[in-house]
Parts: sequence; C-alpha cells; structure tokens
Amino acid sequence: MSTPPTINLTRYRLIRNGVFVWLTLVVLGAFSFGGYLLNIPKINILEHTARNLYFHVPMWFTMMAATGVSAYHSFRVLQTGDYVRDIRARAAAMMAVVFGLLGLLTGIVWARFTWYVSADIWWNFDPKQSMAAVQVLIYGAYFVLRSGIEDTRKQARIAAVYNLFAFVTVPFLLYVLPRQLESLHPGADGNPAFSDITHPVMRLVFYPAIIGFIGLFWVLYTQRVRLALLQRRVDHDDDLL
Amino acid sequence: MILEPTILQDSTAVSTAYDSVWAGQSVPTQAPTGIESVMLAHDKLFVVLSVALIIWFGLMFVTLRTDRHLEKVERSLESNISDTD
Repeated sequence: MSTPPTINLTRYRLIRNGVFVWLTLVVLGAFSFGGYLLNIPKINILEHTARNLYFHVPMWFTMMAATGVSAYHSFRVLQTGDYVRDIRARAAAMMAVVFGLLGLLTGIVWARFTWYVSADIWWNFDPKQSMAAVQVLIYGAYFVLRSGIEDTRKQARIAAVYNLFAFVTVPFLLYVLPRQLESLHPGADGNPAFSDITHPVMRLVFYPAIIGFIGLFWVLYTQRVRLALLQRRVDHDDDLL
Repeated sequence: MILEPTILQDSTAVSTAYDSVWAGQSVPTQAPTGIESVMLAHDKLFVVLSVALIIWFGLMFVTLRTDRHLEKVERSLESNISDTD
C-alpha cells in the first residue's frame, strides 16, 4: 500500500512560526507613531483610520492570492483528476471567501466613520463594495454547486470548471468595473490611484502586511488541507489510496 | 497628534451623567503614573494596540492548538492502520 498523501510538516511549521513573528511586527508597526517610528501624515476625514490601509487592503490582496491558488489547483484537477488537487482547490476557495468577508466587513466599518460620517449610513452601494460583495457570492456559489453533486469525481470536475470561471471574474469585478464607475475608492473614476496618494512611510508597513496576511492564508489553507486529507482517510478507510 | 474634541466640548450644554467627565473638563488633574503614563499617551492609542495584540496572540494560540490536535489525530490514524495491516 502506498503512503497516504500528506503535507510537508517541517516546512509548514517553519513558515507558520515565521508568519506569526512577521505579522506581530506588522501589528506593532501599524500602531507605531508619535516620533517613535513611523509617523503617518495627517489627512482630513481619514485621521488615524488611514492605518486601516494595513489591514483592510491586504484582505483583498490575500483573497486574490487565494483565488489564484484555488484556480491553479482546479486547473490541475482537470489535467490529472487527482483528488488531492480538488481538496487543495476547495480549501483555498474557502479561505478566499473568509478573507473576502473580512475585507467587506472592515470596509463597511471604515466607510461608516469616514465617507459616511454624520450621514449615518453603513452601505451606500459604492461600486467597488458592491462588486466585491458579488465576488464573494460567486465564490460562495462554488460551495453550493459542490454540495449539489453526489458523485465525488463528477463533483471535483464540475467544481473545477466553475472555479476557473469564477477566477476569470476576479480582475473584472475588483479592478476593471469599479474604475469605470463613480466610486469613493482610490483609483476609481477620476480619483487618484493608490500610488499617487500613499506616503512612502506607510508602505513600510503596508507591503509587509500584504506578505504577512498572504502567509497567514497559507497557514490556514494548509491546516484545512490537512484536515480534509484526514477526513478522507477516515471516510474511505484508506481503501482508495 | 492631539485631535480637538470639539463635538464633545459642545455637548457640555446638554451634559448628562455619562459624559460629564470628558465634556471639556480637565479631569483627572494629577499626572498619570506607572502604566497609565504609557497607556493614556497619544489619545490612548496604546489601549487599542493592546486589544489588537491580545486578539492576534489569541488567534495564534488557537492555530497552534489546532495543529497539535491534527498531529494527534494523524498519529492515532497511523497506528490504527498499521494495526489492521
């Protein structure tokens, strides 16, 4: 009998511990101020909430990374029919939904006290917000589709095809369409883009934050892959391996 | 860095029990000492930092616990399979 598929635990632990240290430093950097380390520029309306850049925006970068990983493994499902690829595609899509929801929620709170301050509204159908919500729903439908198919091989193949379609919509829903419409987000219809308005000192925390959160995605995704592999061994009592 | 609490100062006219401390009055009068001298500085932003770090350390702890649990199940499954072979 061949050994059941597993993950490289030594590499996993190394990366996990690195991500923990890295993101702790990011949190400390995000709150540093007042002449100690990184004094962020004062901007009207935004004030200290500009620091949300370190947390809200990396959620979307992480979601995009997760959809990329998921689509890659879905492509490999169609190529090889390997069920481990399907487990990986599914785990990555699940984390894409998680980070997408976190991005939506943090965006709602941030907008309430900046864009919509004293207007007392939490949601005003900002195109980028709406498109992001549609994006999360598209990935949510991936799991609905899966649960509707009994045969596991068929489930893996059909879910893979749908997942590739879902991945193609990502750049359009998160970049192309919001930039054609009137949005309060940077880079939309006449607004200055991120690169024009972000002070260099904030990039010292922002870029490491993106790397750190993508690392955190990798840790949680790998955890779910391990769990799914275990579940499969329990369900099939190893007879298919 | 200090943001003017203009809205809160305006509320002195309609002062109620819960905002009487902050509404434009300069209490507490004595200088903060010990841990308060750190935590109250910069509009109490260090309090938020503490909260964020507690949450982050909690999440790390849960992740490590889940890993340990997975390892335990993997080990027990391993020994079960070698028993039945």
